[in-house]
Amino acid sequence: MTESRDELDVLAAQPPPAPPKISAALEAELGQLAPVRARRPRRQLAVLAGASLVYAAALLAILSVRRDLDELPVGWLVAAGIAWLAGFALPMYFALVPRAGSVMPRWQAAAALAIIVSCAFVVLGWNVHPHGPSSKDYGWEHFLRGHGCLWLGLATALVPVALGALFARGAMPVRSRWLAAALGAGGGCLGGLLLHVHCPIADRYHVGLIHGGVVAVAAGLSALIVPRIAR
Amino acid sequence: MADPRELMQRYQDGDARAFRELYALVAPRLFGYLVSMAKSRAVADDVLQQTFLKIHRARAAYVRGADPIPWMYAIAHRTFIDETRRRKRAAVPAGDDVPEIEAGLTGESVERSDEPRVDPELAKAALDALAELPEQQREAVVLTKLNGKSVAEAAEIAGTTVGAMKVRAHRGYERLRALLAGRKGKAA
Repeated sequence: MTESRDELDVLAAQPPPAPPKISAALEAELGQLAPVRARRPRRQLAVLAGASLVYAAALLAILSVRRDLDELPVGWLVAAGIAWLAGFALPMYFALVPRAGSVMPRWQAAAALAIIVSCAFVVLGWNVHPHGPSSKDYGWEHFLRGHGCLWLGLATALVPVALGALFARGAMPVRSRWLAAALGAGGGCLGGLLLHVHCPIADRYHVGLIHGGVVAVAAGLSALIVPRIAR
Repeated sequence: MADPRELMQRYQDGDARAFRELYALVAPRLFGYLVSMAKSRAVADDVLQQTFLKIHRARAAYVRGADPIPWMYAIAHRTFIDETRRRKRAAVPAGDDVPEIEAGLTGESVERSDEPRVDPELAKAALDALAELPEQQREAVVLTKLNGKSVAEAAEIAGTTVGAMKVRAHRGYERLRALLAGRKGKAA
């Protein structure tokens, strides 16, 4: 390695090349330079969380709470609610808040969380889906009838993803697809939380593949769309 | 030397002079990186202009107190990749003009023109070998060796893991060593 290092040391010791002058297009924009407000990631996260929860609560108020709510185990209702909330908050945090001293968000943690929550809620919903006497079962035969929940979950994810994309604009030059996927997964979890409190269909196909699947679908759609507007 | 954090803050506050100082501070480094990556001074020139236009339009994304340099490098990296893809799609030659690289990297910047020149033969040999490396390995070597970035910083800029960046840099050095040894053998 010594030989190549010697040559590279020589190259590293070279003065940097003289860059070109500032382009006319940039000079024109500098001529009208206006102050901008610096990004405050934690404040943005708080705004996103607050606005998204208010939006989800408003949707729930319009749609009504599931009719079998009183018949289901309280422990499961609370634990699943907390899991959905954590699934919403954690990917959003890592997709929006950079490490101290850095401008760019933590794409590796965001990507890992996007994958974990996308899989975890499908598995959890498939395996844990308590019934009450008033719960409904579509089963596999009528599985497609439950597609309304998918659209509702995605509609709930819309606000957090749009706000996240707006706040992260310009801050994600690299790995923007993973960061967008994390925003989508977080938004999808908020959709899942809404469905958890709203939808009385309690079979494993519906809870696992549709309520849980909202997260993966929202993550995928966000990864496709958001980088185009937020990079 | 001015602190890029402070310059970036003043730039966000609407101070165009701070931008010019920031440009004078960062543009030579970014340009050197882009010339090494693009293998063409003309392409590097174009990508640098696009990079600064993007930085300007995204200046509100800067978080006060943070080091803006890795973010700027990451924008340059992304812009270079996008430009390379665009040129491939449009079948525009990316430019394999090694003499231009040489001209670029051995060209003296204003602030360092009084420093002694290094051996041009050795520099040319290294440049020629560097140009033959695969893109990712070349980037790893350029960032960690020529631009003095740590492996963690280089990984953040390229949007990869520290482990992957270490592997790329190691393979890049190994390949460079083989290429340079081969050339020396031929010359002897």
